Amino acid sequence: MRFLASSLILLFLGCTPYPKKLGYKPLENDIHESINPYFSDSQKDYVYKANITVFDNRFGGILVIKKLDNTAHRIAFTTEFGNTIFDFILSDQDFKVNRILKEMDRRILLNVLEQDFRTLIREEITPSEIFAKNNKVLTKAKIGSKLHFYKFENDTLSEIIRVGNQKKKVTFEFSEIKDSVARHIQITHYNIKLTISLQAIR
Amino acid sequence: MYRFLIIALLFSCIAFPQTQMTKEEARILQEQVGQKSKETMTITSDFTQSKHLDFLSNDIESSGKMAFKAPENISWQYLTPFSYKVVFKDEKLLINDNGNKSKLDLGSNELFKQLNHLISASINGDMFNADEFDISYLKEDSARVVHFLPKDPQFSEFIKAFHITFSNEGTVDEVKMIEPSGDYTKIVFSNRVENKTIPDEVFSQ
Repeated sequence: MRFLASSLILLFLGCTPYPKKLGYKPLENDIHESINPYFSDSQKDYVYKANITVFDNRFGGILVIKKLDNTAHRIAFTTEFGNTIFDFILSDQDFKVNRILKEMDRRILLNVLEQDFRTLIREEITPSEIFAKNNKVLTKAKIGSKLHFYKFENDTLSEIIRVGNQKKKVTFEFSEIKDSVARHIQITHYNIKLTISLQAIR
Repeated sequence: MYRFLIIALLFSCIAFPQTQMTKEEARILQEQVGQKSKETMTITSDFTQSKHLDFLSNDIESSGKMAFKAPENISWQYLTPFSYKVVFKDEKLLINDNGNKSKLDLGSNELFKQLNHLISASINGDMFNADEFDISYLKEDSARVVHFLPKDPQFSEFIKAFHITFSNEGTVDEVKMIEPSGDYTKIVFSNRVENKTIPDEVFSQ
């Protein structure tokens, strides 16, 4: 009986909406579009030193992101020596693989990368709900079928959280922000052992 | 078709004033580089690297220090704009990525063995191996440039060609690695010092 009660409590907590779990309260009259500015300037080359840890294997390289026009971004990853590991074009409708190392050409990996880059570069955020706590705002929006929360602190985007079953699945943390560039970005997956750390080098 | 070919050839001649070396000039270069490579037990040098990706507004620049010790020990250290060091030593690859150290045993990996050999060879310039490459000998302005096209399909999937520019002394001034897409990495060496004892720690993590 006690077991049943604790299971019910756990179940109840599990179903609590993600923002409520964190103590955020809904803002009903303030739903407006917001922007992720970090890869939005087509004049800029976004160049990052990347460190990727996957299942305790660590490797590095250079990640380059370029906005081509209003619909597409080019995303390339090279070794420090300059050899291309992958090169994608990502648009709202399409995900084109220009090049990928044979060893990495796995559907499951490509899906993870596509999903992460979609989250990272999506500029316009059309919220379905907005929540607030002190100087922080959580904006709920969907990218494809995936639910995301955008955390703004003092109007600056500091984190994107992908949520499934009211639990965080992936977080994108932005720091060292200057002139609409997040010089440090940390992507952490919670359902697979994968972290990507990006440090701007330009 | 012929007209198109002639126009294309003319255009390429205008864009890149290259001429073929004579057989004799190519032979002299090979000998000079081979001799230089035999005499050179160690090299230290600075390098600057530019990565050209066609879709970027600017090339990605980096620079650092290189050390070579015969037969095939190499330390390749980026100092700006990030800190990253790779050492090829005794069939091992030692990496220090801004303090994060890792080690790979390459003894069993043929591709990496080849890579190690290739990097050593391209630092020396002594890679005139007709079994491995289609080689063409060119003169660009006053410089001698050799194009090496890997024959191994596994390799040419990564690198379509190496263009190595040689100094008058037969040392390597510049290496350009061209990818199948046409994007390339250009490495320019400077402040080269030969046959000076290099401390062991240079070849450690």
